[in-house]
Amino acid sequence: MSGHLEIRGVERSFGATPVLAGVDLSVEAGQCVALLGPSGSGKSTLLRIVAGLDDPAAGEVFLDGRQVDGVAPERRRTSLVFQRPRLFPHLDVLDNVAFPLIVSGVRRREARASAGRFLDLVGLTGLASRRPATLSGGQEQRVALARALAARPLVLLLDEPFSALDPEVRDDMHTLVRDLRAAVETTVLVVTHDRAEAAALADTVAVLLDGRITAHDTIDALHTRPSCLALHEFLGGRNAVMGEVVAGRHLSPLGVLDVPWGTPDGRGSLVVRQEALRVAGPGEAWDVAGVVTSTRPHGARHLVHVDCSGTPLALETHLGPSLLGVGAPAYVVVPQEARHVIPLTRLQSPATTSGTAVVAPRSED
Amino acid sequence: MTAVAAPPSPRIDTAVARPSRSRVGTVVRSAASAALGVWWLAPLVPMLLWAFADRWTFPDRLPRQWGLDGWRAAFEAGAGSAMASSLAVAVVVAVIATPLGAMAARALETHDIRHGRLVGVLLVLPVAVPPFAVVLGLTSVTLRWGIPGSVALITALVAFSLPYTVSVMRAAYAAHDLTMEEQARTLGASPRSTLWRVHLPMVAPSLVMSAFLAFLVAWSDYLMTLVLGAGRVTTLAQLLGSSASSSGHDSSVAVIAALIVAPPLVLLAAIHLSIRRTAQR
Repeated sequence: MSGHLEIRGVERSFGATPVLAGVDLSVEAGQCVALLGPSGSGKSTLLRIVAGLDDPAAGEVFLDGRQVDGVAPERRRTSLVFQRPRLFPHLDVLDNVAFPLIVSGVRRREARASAGRFLDLVGLTGLASRRPATLSGGQEQRVALARALAARPLVLLLDEPFSALDPEVRDDMHTLVRDLRAAVETTVLVVTHDRAEAAALADTVAVLLDGRITAHDTIDALHTRPSCLALHEFLGGRNAVMGEVVAGRHLSPLGVLDVPWGTPDGRGSLVVRQEALRVAGPGEAWDVAGVVTSTRPHGARHLVHVDCSGTPLALETHLGPSLLGVGAPAYVVVPQEARHVIPLTRLQSPATTSGTAVVAPRSED
Repeated sequence: MTAVAAPPSPRIDTAVARPSRSRVGTVVRSAASAALGVWWLAPLVPMLLWAFADRWTFPDRLPRQWGLDGWRAAFEAGAGSAMASSLAVAVVVAVIATPLGAMAARALETHDIRHGRLVGVLLVLPVAVPPFAVVLGLTSVTLRWGIPGSVALITALVAFSLPYTVSVMRAAYAAHDLTMEEQARTLGASPRSTLWRVHLPMVAPSLVMSAFLAFLVAWSDYLMTLVLGAGRVTTLAQLLGSSASSSGHDSSVAVIAALIVAPPLVLLAAIHLSIRRTAQR
């Protein structure tokens, strides 16, 4: 019940505003890919095009090798779960889940029996006779998932389905989706603007920036080895220092830092995740020295800004202001495996036309 | 599909407590409802008394003799066939005006129609125009063109019902979520299946109310039936008019009036009960 989804060169504009400018994306059968992008980047539009609810200006969509452009939504075998669950208010929970089976010609009694099994999967057996209006947000989304799976889609499309839920319920839903994937082995394309959600749900993440897929890789690779500065910044990276690579070393105002083997010579921006940087302990070797300019809580940790001879660096640490306050010296360790250089030629998003390169390190957000 | 253990059931929401209504407020509301009921129903009482009065002379406060003479007289005067005509005309008008109004309303609310605002104004124009002025002009046209009176009558009544059906359905479609239909399509429903299983059930209460209003317009019409029917279509309203002006038999007139009043009230009660039952489920 899983299919291979292939999107080739899809373009779509709204009026004179191009939203999708040649999107290429491949989702292997049984895989879960998260489509990550900022609000208004065209993620939902792409999902609607795959579902057949919108037509691309150019490009093709293939499902299991079959071109589906112009094919009606009901014939594509893609189920779409919207941000709001869109349960039919005039049907009870069981009939909502049985809906795709009934419209496909299954007799009502058999459809309801089958729907009951999908309700079991999402843990809502006891709510079969309830009306959608009596359900909580999380319960509604569970029913929507059960209903989408009851359609036995080749590809399950999820359009930010959990963004309106409380964090705790959202975590439950992530667990549920992982369990469901193990149970029904379906291909999933999930749209989200939440990096944590993408990481929790997907095998790989495709980032949609400036109308194109800027990168498609595992979430770890995207974070630690971004292909361009726009991607690094979109993923929350705070450190980018322009310099020059010479014989495996990056020369910049930070000093001379060894970079991974194979990094080509030439100008490029050294990017390091703030989560990877740490303050050296007593007697420990350090790479960069500076002075703390600001510190503020960041979840369970603290985000500390350090001025390194005029070059700002940001790092996350468990050390609070009492141990690492403003004005205190900071000796920063830049782990070798966390260093990555983006060559000058790729500083911008691949989708961006040539222009002024972004070379300034990122400071405060 | 392989078997998998069901994840733990989520919490079931408990009922949310409603704020208690004050006793005084309840009493005031009940009294106001009762007063309104009396205000609306009081005019019906003399009619019902007359309908079962065989003899009621001045200055008696109540009928002196009860009976069904009025009913016999009314049906001998043609109340049965007039009721059948009224029902036929009203049902046909409702059946035509409701889908027309729904389609126009959906187009106006969900599509970017050229000059949509003007079209909306034109659709409600019949309410603003005195029917007498319009039907007099129509009569000469239908006579010259040989259009049957019943066809002309239905056409005119549909036109005069449309403002009501369009208004009700525009309100319905303004609140209608089109993505529900998109959702149905992605779940495998054809356009026809989506229409019957999702679209129509979701707007059904408004459709019923819209049909009821169209039914009422046709059911209670007197003038257009008189002019366009050209004497070949006799409805209850016409029979009431002619009986009231000529027979002088008050109880038979009251019976005909009761026959006009009853069906809309029964329909309204049925609609109310149906909507309440649906809401309670």
